[in-house]
Amino acid sequence: MKRILQYIFMISIGFPLVFLLVLSLGRQWPYPSVFPKQMTLANWEFMQESSSKLFQTFFTSLGISLTVAFLVTALCFFVSKRIAYSKNRNTYLVLAYIPYLLSPVILAVIFQYYFNIAQLTGTALGVIIAQFLIAFPFGVIIYLNFWNENLKATEELSYTLGGSTFQTFKKVLFPLSKNAILLCFFQVFLISWFEYGLTNLIGIGKVRTLTVSVFNFVNEANIFYAALACCLLVVPPMILVYINKKFIFFVEKNEA
Amino acid sequence: MKPILNIQDVSKSFGKEQILSHIDLTLEQNTVLSLVGSSGSGKTTLLKIIAGLETQDSGTIYLHGEEVSNMKPQHRNSIYLYQEALLFPHLNVFENIAFGLRLRKTPEALLKQKVTEMVSFLGMETHATKMSHQLSGGQRQRVSFGRAMIIEPSLLLLDEPFGALDSVTREKMQVLFKDLAKQMQISAVFVTHDLKEAIVMGDSIGKITKGELTQFSDLKSFYNDKDSGIKKEVEFWKQFN
Repeated sequence: MKRILQYIFMISIGFPLVFLLVLSLGRQWPYPSVFPKQMTLANWEFMQESSSKLFQTFFTSLGISLTVAFLVTALCFFVSKRIAYSKNRNTYLVLAYIPYLLSPVILAVIFQYYFNIAQLTGTALGVIIAQFLIAFPFGVIIYLNFWNENLKATEELSYTLGGSTFQTFKKVLFPLSKNAILLCFFQVFLISWFEYGLTNLIGIGKVRTLTVSVFNFVNEANIFYAALACCLLVVPPMILVYINKKFIFFVEKNEA
Repeated sequence: MKPILNIQDVSKSFGKEQILSHIDLTLEQNTVLSLVGSSGSGKTTLLKIIAGLETQDSGTIYLHGEEVSNMKPQHRNSIYLYQEALLFPHLNVFENIAFGLRLRKTPEALLKQKVTEMVSFLGMETHATKMSHQLSGGQRQRVSFGRAMIIEPSLLLLDEPFGALDSVTREKMQVLFKDLAKQMQISAVFVTHDLKEAIVMGDSIGKITKGELTQFSDLKSFYNDKDSGIKKEVEFWKQFN
């Protein structure tokens, strides 16, 4: 029974991925055929065509998401520490949840006016800033539970043992926070990578990320290209899941 | 003899609550001062102020005759040890003890020699490559002492370091600390709740009550003080005789 459940679980994860791959290779798939009539790499060759810009879109998305994830992970580390040890910790925590109560799209509508004035709409920088504003409170929330009295005491001990602020960060805080840093980086990367509404509004169609492209292909009823874009879309998250499993899960298992 | 630690008129408040009030304290070189007092009396705050981890509202602190009132903790050469051993979980026993020496960029050969000697002194030879979660509470506390002692601090500030240990381990640790303090000529302020431990560990005793410190010149005057609680304790045990 346990094995059957495991297989069901694996199929539920694997089937959509295989389906997307078949769909991206297919052409002419009329109902009720089980498989496409034609299997070809033509859709994938489309990526290389200069007019399609799908490769460019992939790397634009990657650039935006990596930048947002890096900025949020680095800044939230220090900001969350201040908040965690502040007397007003709970107030800041409530404020951090507000973007998620409003939803990113509503926030994007609010941002849009200011982004228009600052001439940031339709630019990659604008999209990065908008996504940063959404992901920043999330980064703070992820880190907040990491800071505790025990860690504070460990940090203070390092100071009294003669460690400078930089030495304490390098030799104590960073090694102890590696898992929290990786977790924050992965989560924020995924938020940015799959972000559609806010990116579409601030990017006004000029900044084409992979997620925006998928929706465009779907709107054009071009399921084969949409599947192709989806295949590209799931590659980075799958790599992240692999790294996460290898470096975080494995380390935690060994420590336990 | 010049005192190693001299505190003059130190006061500290958190908001409206006065934690320490006009504290004066002196500690002679190579002696241990036991500091007793009830919870919330201000013992930990005083220790943290001496270590530079808290800032006093007023008053001055001298270490070796030098004013350190506004000096950062890393420059005071005073180590504050908590009730928990707080070993660095990502380092093994050897590296935990070597931590302070590595911060000071001690040459590798000298570092290895010093750490090996300390590991041997602590009786932890077979545990040198173990991580902190593989050690018992007493072993962790030994490593914590070794990590502090190896950098030869001017002053050791111990905040109920044996509070989390069972009575047998506690007694062993008291003996170990006394040996270490004697051999390495350590000056220390030792905070404890336990009156017996205060007498065993200290060359002199101070008592904090509601933020005010009374420093007794010797153990006898502490015993004779009616508010010390010692006589009450003696009477309590006498009834079983």
